[in-house]
Amino acid sequence: MKWNQKHSHRIVETISLLFIVLFIYAATSKLWDFGQFKVQLGQSPILTAYADWLAWLVPLTEYVLAILLLWKPQRLSALYAAFGLMVMFTTYIILVLNFSDYIPCSCGGVLEDLGWTEHIVFNLIFIALAFIGIILLEEHPTLNTIVS
Amino acid sequence: MKKAKTAMKLLGTTSLGMGLVIVLFLSSERQVHRNNVFTRRYPHHPIKKLYDLPIGFDSYYIAGVDNDILFLGNTTAPLHLLRINIKTGDTSHINLNLPTRNLPFKAVTVQVYPPYFYVMDGTIPCIFKGILGDWNAKLWMKDKAYFTKAFPLDTSKIYINTINSDTRLATLGILEKRWDFRVSLHPEILEKQIDGMFDVDGTMVVSQDGKTLGFVYYYRNQFMVMDSMLGLLGRQETIDTVKIAHIELSRANKKGQVKMKAPPLKINHTAALYNDLMLINSPRLDKYEDPRMLDEAAIIDVYNWKERTYDFSFYLYRIEQKKLKEFRVYDKYLLALLGDMFSVYSLDEGQFNGTGQSATRNEKNNEIPAGSRMKTENL
Repeated sequence: MKWNQKHSHRIVETISLLFIVLFIYAATSKLWDFGQFKVQLGQSPILTAYADWLAWLVPLTEYVLAILLLWKPQRLSALYAAFGLMVMFTTYIILVLNFSDYIPCSCGGVLEDLGWTEHIVFNLIFIALAFIGIILLEEHPTLNTIVS
Repeated sequence: MKKAKTAMKLLGTTSLGMGLVIVLFLSSERQVHRNNVFTRRYPHHPIKKLYDLPIGFDSYYIAGVDNDILFLGNTTAPLHLLRINIKTGDTSHINLNLPTRNLPFKAVTVQVYPPYFYVMDGTIPCIFKGILGDWNAKLWMKDKAYFTKAFPLDTSKIYINTINSDTRLATLGILEKRWDFRVSLHPEILEKQIDGMFDVDGTMVVSQDGKTLGFVYYYRNQFMVMDSMLGLLGRQETIDTVKIAHIELSRANKKGQVKMKAPPLKINHTAALYNDLMLINSPRLDKYEDPRMLDEAAIIDVYNWKERTYDFSFYLYRIEQKKLKEFRVYDKYLLALLGDMFSVYSLDEGQFNGTGQSATRNEKNNEIPAGSRMKTENL
């Protein structure tokens, strides 16, 4: 049990770290070229009408989640939120791929250069990571309190 | 027990996430497709057709008007002008003479500001100037400023669209001759959204007296009106809802050229300025309009830029499927080029006086009213 817990802790730490890096990177590269991002969202065939405030909301959410993931007492809820956000991104991609005649991308940075299939795979991997993190934390609530 | 709870929470998060995006998608779909939350007002007979005139070629453009005489320039025969007497419909051909033909002309346009005419090519750049009736032009400007479009405002001022050499962005400006030529650029007028070149493209318009200038964006719902020194008098949104240009551009190739990747969403076509009114040809349908309408007519929306209002709209019907290319309002006439046809309409002055109050007036026309198939909605 002890071994298991130690490793579980490492795994959760790593998963959180991966998410933090992903979110900070994605949010920063969006804000870096905010005008461009806004336009891309506006051109996005399924969210056009909400582009104005979504352009702010998405990077903001990513930053907030990154902070929450750092803060251990909130890590479990942050993982749920990250899981939810990745599900939303993936749903968005699937909707775009299936229900629109042209496809824009506004993921930011190098993620923009991913193909759509790679993109879905990439997202699914992160969904799986969040899933694992959540299961481990739910199984061992004490992980949160361990200080390494 | 614990596992079941976790599974429930995960399932809940998943469906919440998916549900949220799907709801956003569906409601955005509805807003965009019915996009046109706007409705137009079509009063009775604001214009009345006087006559159609075949002009033989579809390469004509409007060069200007002087004393009931309309001059048409021709893109394929750059030094040829067609003169049309608006009242009688009489036509005659004119050939312009330039002192030199040895310049590498690429984009020659002729514009009239009575009593002068200007022969301009912004790629060289050069402007020749001559007196109407004489038709021998003299070199007036050379190598002072490049431009993509130019319209004379008086005997010494030209309203230009050019590339600002500092910012590499499209910019409006005035080219003026005092002692020497002076170019004043006004980069604040065209507002960059995407690249500052394609997205700020549009129609430049000048009032008949050259005192009021306008610019109507192609790809967004906005136009500007300026005084003759390019001082901004007002920015106004049209009834359309597209605020951000929908254009897709390619990355620059080795020559640095950028191209449109997909057909852009055009919000405003061509336009004309008449006293306090800005008339804009829009290829977009309103909430109730029949899509077939776009194959039958050009829709013209009339705005009052002083009052900052939308006044009304009317149809310019196609002639044998020929599309509206350009139009101008002069005195009491609306002059339109449709393919290789030229049409003259008279205006109902009550409706075009800028107050827009008398649109319900219903005159009896003994000629074929242009708006006989218009909707019967009143103001």
